[in-house]
Amino acid sequence: MKVLKQFLAAVSVLAILASPATAAELRFTIWTGNEAHLRMLNGFANSFKAARPDVTVKFETIPPDAYTQKLTIQIAGGNPPDAGWLMEDAAPTFASAGVLEDLASTLNSTKDYDFADFSKPALGLWTAGSKVFGVPFSTSPFVIFFNKDMFDKAGLEDPIALAAKGQWDMTRFQDVAKKLAAANGKYGFEFKDGQGYDSRIMHALMPPIRAYGGDLWANRQCGLDTPQAVGAVKQLHDMVFKDKSIAPPGESADYFSGNAAMTINQISRASLMPKAGFKWGIAPLPAGPAGESPVIGQAGIVVFAAGKQKKLAAEFVAHMTDKANVATAAQFFPPARNSVLSGAGFLGSNNLIPAEQMKFVADAIAKGKVLPSHEKSPQILAAMKPRVDALWRADANVENSLRAVCAAIRPLL
Amino acid sequence: MIGRFGPKRLRIVSRVCWTIGLSVAAIPFVFPLLWMVSSGFKSAAEIFGSPSIVPREWRWLNFVEVFTYQPFAQQYFNSLYISVSVTAITLVVASLAGYALARLRFAGSSLVGLFLVSALMVPEEVTIIPNFFLMKRFGLIDSHLPLILLPVFGPHGIVATFLMRQYFLALPKEVEEAGRMDGLSTFGIWWRIAIPLSRPALAAVAIITFLHSWNQFLEPLIFVSSLDKFTLPLALSNFTDPYGAPLWHLQLAATSLSVIPILVVYLIAQRQIIESFALSGVKG
Amino acid sequence: MGNPAPSTAARARRASWLTLKAREAMEAWLFVSPTVAGFLIFFAGPLVAVVWYSLTEWNLLTQQMKYVGLANFRDALFENPDFWHVVRNSAVFAVGLVPFNMMLALTLALGLSGRFPGVIFFRTVFFAPVVTSAAAWAIVWKFLLQGESGFVNQLLATVGIAGPNWLREPDWAMAAVIFTRVIKMVGLNMILYIAALQAIPRDYEEAARLEGATNWQVFRWITWPLLGPTTLVIMVITTIGSFKVFDHIYLMTGGGPENGTLVLAFYIYEQGFKFFNVGYASALALIMFAIVMVLTVVQLAIRRRDT
Repeated sequence: MKVLKQFLAAVSVLAILASPATAAELRFTIWTGNEAHLRMLNGFANSFKAARPDVTVKFETIPPDAYTQKLTIQIAGGNPPDAGWLMEDAAPTFASAGVLEDLASTLNSTKDYDFADFSKPALGLWTAGSKVFGVPFSTSPFVIFFNKDMFDKAGLEDPIALAAKGQWDMTRFQDVAKKLAAANGKYGFEFKDGQGYDSRIMHALMPPIRAYGGDLWANRQCGLDTPQAVGAVKQLHDMVFKDKSIAPPGESADYFSGNAAMTINQISRASLMPKAGFKWGIAPLPAGPAGESPVIGQAGIVVFAAGKQKKLAAEFVAHMTDKANVATAAQFFPPARNSVLSGAGFLGSNNLIPAEQMKFVADAIAKGKVLPSHEKSPQILAAMKPRVDALWRADANVENSLRAVCAAIRPLL
Repeated sequence: MIGRFGPKRLRIVSRVCWTIGLSVAAIPFVFPLLWMVSSGFKSAAEIFGSPSIVPREWRWLNFVEVFTYQPFAQQYFNSLYISVSVTAITLVVASLAGYALARLRFAGSSLVGLFLVSALMVPEEVTIIPNFFLMKRFGLIDSHLPLILLPVFGPHGIVATFLMRQYFLALPKEVEEAGRMDGLSTFGIWWRIAIPLSRPALAAVAIITFLHSWNQFLEPLIFVSSLDKFTLPLALSNFTDPYGAPLWHLQLAATSLSVIPILVVYLIAQRQIIESFALSGVKG
Repeated sequence: MGNPAPSTAARARRASWLTLKAREAMEAWLFVSPTVAGFLIFFAGPLVAVVWYSLTEWNLLTQQMKYVGLANFRDALFENPDFWHVVRNSAVFAVGLVPFNMMLALTLALGLSGRFPGVIFFRTVFFAPVVTSAAAWAIVWKFLLQGESGFVNQLLATVGIAGPNWLREPDWAMAAVIFTRVIKMVGLNMILYIAALQAIPRDYEEAARLEGATNWQVFRWITWPLLGPTTLVIMVITTIGSFKVFDHIYLMTGGGPENGTLVLAFYIYEQGFKFFNVGYASALALIMFAIVMVLTVVQLAIRRRDT
């Protein structure tokens, strides 16, 4: 009996603890655990209290690798967050599944919000007609990070100087990477975070393909077997297996710890550089036969339709993406608001990157194209992966491998 | 030839050969653990920069950063309390049912036994999808309860039930009958006589259950999504920076931290632990 | 049996409201009720549900469900080329893992069942990976098996062998996953065999030796037959376990390269929780259930025929 009484007491205590608090709490999922990011986000939450004193916002970190998947499981599991970040490759999937709330009315009715200030191309993934499924908070172009010390040791002009002379193109890129590898005994180039053969296939293949004038797909047609795409990938393949200047599959050659001379990434990665211990800089992506074609990675803020406090969540999204807060966030996440981009503040917003290099970022945002995305992105990527694996063998026939990739994804497009 | 090496010499020679052979065979069993600990002390650059097993500089800081990088202490505690809860509940539930199946006569006992045996053959993957929707109905997604309930009542709990049943069957009946004569209830006999007599089986069940829960990967992967609710195996696979790039040095430091305490316990109690496993298999 | 009988009063009290037999049955049901309830809720119910799910097309994200009959099975068995590839992988994994595991376990057990200096040390060593968490084990091996800079290949390079890029070539990746899994789990089977070997009475062997039997003959005609029940248990457990392998695949290869290590358990997870095809994943789960069931029954039947 005593045990039973204790048990009942414990259960009632738990029940009290679990009962909903009177003040509203918004759950907001993000994929960063970075302290500086969290400080900024919590700042937005605090300033929201000015308008809504009874509302607290709880930011929940879900690791980036499994972010979309875990988010889906939360939604399907009846435990949806109220709002959250969403990566570009998931945007069409989520929008077409009807799990995103239309924010148009809230954004348009918010005073001084000025939705028209957002750059139209940047909104492409997030709007459908008059509906707004999300607001981009990071429109971050890919740039080349280079190790200046290694360029000096090889006696080479760095990419910034080459770009200034209009000589920073794919041919030069291959040449420089090879010389860097020879002079430094390290790899000349590493794909984004060393994941170019795994979770970052798109980030490895898209920049050169676009520089050559190709694309992954267009108008529901696979573009990987076009001569442009084949040419671009052949060059990469040669660099990996003939020149041995790009870190090959299964090899870890981390740029940030000084084991590769160049890599491709977004400016938010500059946060790693103070610890790196070498001189560095950022430069635009090398141009190709098709000229310059910057590639942009994007992420947006969305409100989930299954949430119970949709109106409130939408108000918070409007608050987070108003002019002042977008300007604040620009230190980490390049903005999609024209007023912020063109303002003097943007070029000086990142205290690690000098203004003249931030200019490359601003240019790329203006001219660039977002990475391809599709409502069946997860399936397309899964179908691509094993065939792209086959491409990354020393003896692979690039053209045939790319045809096989196309054959695999064509039914999904 | 045999003449030169007498039978005794031959035995020594074969013993030495055996020992050398075993030592070589042991390399893949222990080396990864050594490498793991040594790399936990290295910097990210050194792990792939140099193959030496002794770090150039000992970075104790790795072991501090592990805890600041993600709520690793919380995740450690999660794994610990989940595994302990699973073990405790399994011991009670399995020994109750095991006792009934071994000792008590009741209509349907063979049917119950048959059903449970059939469950032994079914991998968890088969029922994980409906269990996901079940947990959704209970509102338990992103909580730890599925990680406790499923192992207790899943195939693993049933293995435990059978282990207990086998052990109870082998106990001498007389003691229990004496207890009944003394006026003990069935529950009293179970608790005061059968349980104390079956300590070896309970230890075996406890150890295999703890390890099973400690190792669980698929279930946490599906049921848990917030970082502070992660269990150790998930946390270990999550040493990536905010953009998904791996942090090898922290990952290996964390892996060492997760493995070493269990390994130490094992080394201290290795005889009992190994015997428990022997018991669990032969009887099962 | 010399104990005094319970007081007649107590007996009368019990008998007055329930017969002894009914009382025992009631108590028994109380004892098994948590297990039976758990079995019904978390096992039997879900098993019925998975049959129903397998007949639907159901997207986890859109939450739309529609009855499609046997389409999922038709899709898996006849239309989707991945399915048979996955089944083949699972078969290769099991066929590679089970005999390797069992032979290694038996060899180690034969070497370590006696008493000699260091025997405890070696048993401890071979068993250590069993208590190491699987996630940790897989993560560490993934590092060791990296391309050129991985430790294994650097080691091979010192003796002049250029090792393959283990986890990047489908066949080597499969071999690597099997090997690391066997090393992780073989200690358990070794211990089961040691226990069984130690339970064999010495006089059988001694009698055979007196008649001039060689080591091999003793093993073949005495030890091996007596190990039969243990071998069966180990074989069934290891086979079922080989179909369940998930964490090693998830952490070491992610099913790649070129789907070379995509096994059933991982495929079910991907379909269900990555692509959200609940119906198709459920059909796969049932197929897996059937495969494991058939294998187990066959193993038990072969054993029964042999004895």
